[in-house]
Amino acid sequence: MRHRTPVRTAFAAIVAIMIWCCLAVAAMAHASLTAVVPADGAVVGAPPRTLSLSFSEPVSPLVLRLVLPDGQAADLDRFVLRDRTLEITPPAALGSGTYVLTWRVISEDGHPVGGSTIFSIGAPSAAPPSADETADWSVRGAIWTARVVLYVGLFFGIGGVFAACWLTPSERGGPRGLSAAVVIAFLASALSVWLQGLDALGLPITSMLDPAVWRAGFATSFGMTVIVLPAAFLLALVAGRLASTPLARSLSVTALVAGGLALALSGHASTAAPQWLARPAVFLHAMTIAIWVGALLPLAWALRHDPAVGRAGLQRFSRLIPWAVAILVLAGGFLAVIQVHEPASLLTTAYGRVLLVKLGLLILLFGLVGVNRWILTKPVAEGEGNATRRLVRSIAVETLIVVTIFAVAATWRFTPPPRALAVAVAQPLSTHIHSDKAMAEVTITPAKAGLVVASAFILGPDFTPLDPKEVTFVFSNAEAGVEPMRRKAVLGDDGNWRAEALVIPLAGKWTMRINVLISDFELVRLEEVIDIKP
Amino acid sequence: MFKTTITTIAALALGAGSAFAHATLQLKEAPVGSSYRAIFQVPHGCEGKPTNVVRVQIPEGVIAVKPQPKAGWTLEKIKGAYAKSYDYYGTPTNEGVKEIIWSGGSLADDEYDEFVLRVYLTKDLKAGETLYFPVVQECPDGAAERWIEIPAEGQSADDLELPAPGVKLLETAGGH
Repeated sequence: MRHRTPVRTAFAAIVAIMIWCCLAVAAMAHASLTAVVPADGAVVGAPPRTLSLSFSEPVSPLVLRLVLPDGQAADLDRFVLRDRTLEITPPAALGSGTYVLTWRVISEDGHPVGGSTIFSIGAPSAAPPSADETADWSVRGAIWTARVVLYVGLFFGIGGVFAACWLTPSERGGPRGLSAAVVIAFLASALSVWLQGLDALGLPITSMLDPAVWRAGFATSFGMTVIVLPAAFLLALVAGRLASTPLARSLSVTALVAGGLALALSGHASTAAPQWLARPAVFLHAMTIAIWVGALLPLAWALRHDPAVGRAGLQRFSRLIPWAVAILVLAGGFLAVIQVHEPASLLTTAYGRVLLVKLGLLILLFGLVGVNRWILTKPVAEGEGNATRRLVRSIAVETLIVVTIFAVAATWRFTPPPRALAVAVAQPLSTHIHSDKAMAEVTITPAKAGLVVASAFILGPDFTPLDPKEVTFVFSNAEAGVEPMRRKAVLGDDGNWRAEALVIPLAGKWTMRINVLISDFELVRLEEVIDIKP
Repeated sequence: MFKTTITTIAALALGAGSAFAHATLQLKEAPVGSSYRAIFQVPHGCEGKPTNVVRVQIPEGVIAVKPQPKAGWTLEKIKGAYAKSYDYYGTPTNEGVKEIIWSGGSLADDEYDEFVLRVYLTKDLKAGETLYFPVVQECPDGAAERWIEIPAEGQSADDLELPAPGVKLLETAGGH
């Protein structure tokens, strides 16, 4: 037996005791979050004075960060550890919006734990403005001008030819300038294709001879409009030339119908649902505008240069116009309702505000029309000289207001109606994640930052049905420094596991993990990187 | 004596729970073809809540499972068929305990306890591999901690968030 010294024995005993101590300490847990103030998903009225994170044991923080509504991350370095709670002082002057409190702490055994919770001050962040500021204003200005010219050519030009043929057929000709308007509009419609192509491709005003731009312009639904519209203009020109013959009359009608059809073929209003009502509504709206507005210039001309014809025309006009206006208002009202889903959108969206301006101008116009109809028309019929001049002047003012309305309506080319906004916003993101134990069909609606609904349909590896016990969504964004946020999903009647009230605070690439608990003892994790739009 | 001391210290050090955060097995190595005392260390509850139920799933190749009763806990042994017939000291066994449940107790989050099973590791298990016992802790309000992830090929238990307690299998100990 070896010779034992007391020192060696003592040394061995001390080492053994030390190891025992380590064992005792090692039996401690890693920390888990027991409470958060403000609570996950809460909406608080005022900025909180402290943010607190409570854990199951004392921790020391590695990372404490607050992601602000604009996407910037602020490091939180003012905190106090009181027993098992970290009390953090948030940055001063927090505005309203959705914040992410993201944390990474280390428990006493050295095991790091991380997570994120969300809270909102005031109200959850609304969608940031769409990144449309890159639009080229010279192209936009040109598109708008072309559109106004088109409207003038269609309503005053084609409508004018129609009125000249049907309401005030005169041996002395008709208002000059109608043909000119039609010709200019014809050219403008050709130019519109090119401008539309520039807008579609996002190019500045470049060479007109670039075929790619023309092709892009034709490829849009506007392409149909610019095929029919010039045809309508040509017919109107011919009708204008033939003046007062039966052929001219039928041609003018055809031109009018074609013009209305051209407008119904493209644009926001025509594509609204239900289309079988929307397109005819646009068609009727356009036709009645043309009939009404088109009559203004021929009537004014006739009243000055051929009073007998003028008076007869005025009579016919007065009888016809209530019907036309009634249809116009009905069709226009219907379109306004289906485009602007809720009255609040009238003030909050650009489309709504344009509509309000147009309605304001229309009220003014109708007022003037009323004056014409009930005050000025009768004296003209009775042959009073001054009355004619007054009526002509009134018609001139009407014309001006109408052109202003065209200018306002042309801006709709650039504002998507609330209906279309709602559709764009609700575009979901769908993806399929596969592993050898399970797979998931996942949908995030909408695929943009803010309040989303995550939904997953879980299947076995070979499309066999799977009935998991629990499904949890976990979202994290390492780039933005957001630790994993967990949301438990609930099984709906349609077999989809849905996690509502989930807020993805920032745009960017997020790591989405779906934890599928197949049985009490089997867990499958499916992971994918998804792209969340702003 | 020094050699014995060092071996004891080494055994203790090896036996120490190195995965401090999780439910683990105290004895991390065991030879196949002999009985093994599986000591499940439960260091904490579920997110601060106390543990009320501890469930252990018996993996394939482990037979003759005898749980140690615990004061204040109800013991349940769930039997089922084994995948094949095993030889237990000459007696063929093809069914036995597949799951053990200790329930009705309350182990607070800041308390520690051990749940013990005595099992036989059959020779059909491969020495050199790690045998995993999935453990589920159930707490009030449906909360649960599930130590049920088994590392895939090329993965180590350290990569997993919820690793199952494992024991490294050794060659059959000579002469018993």
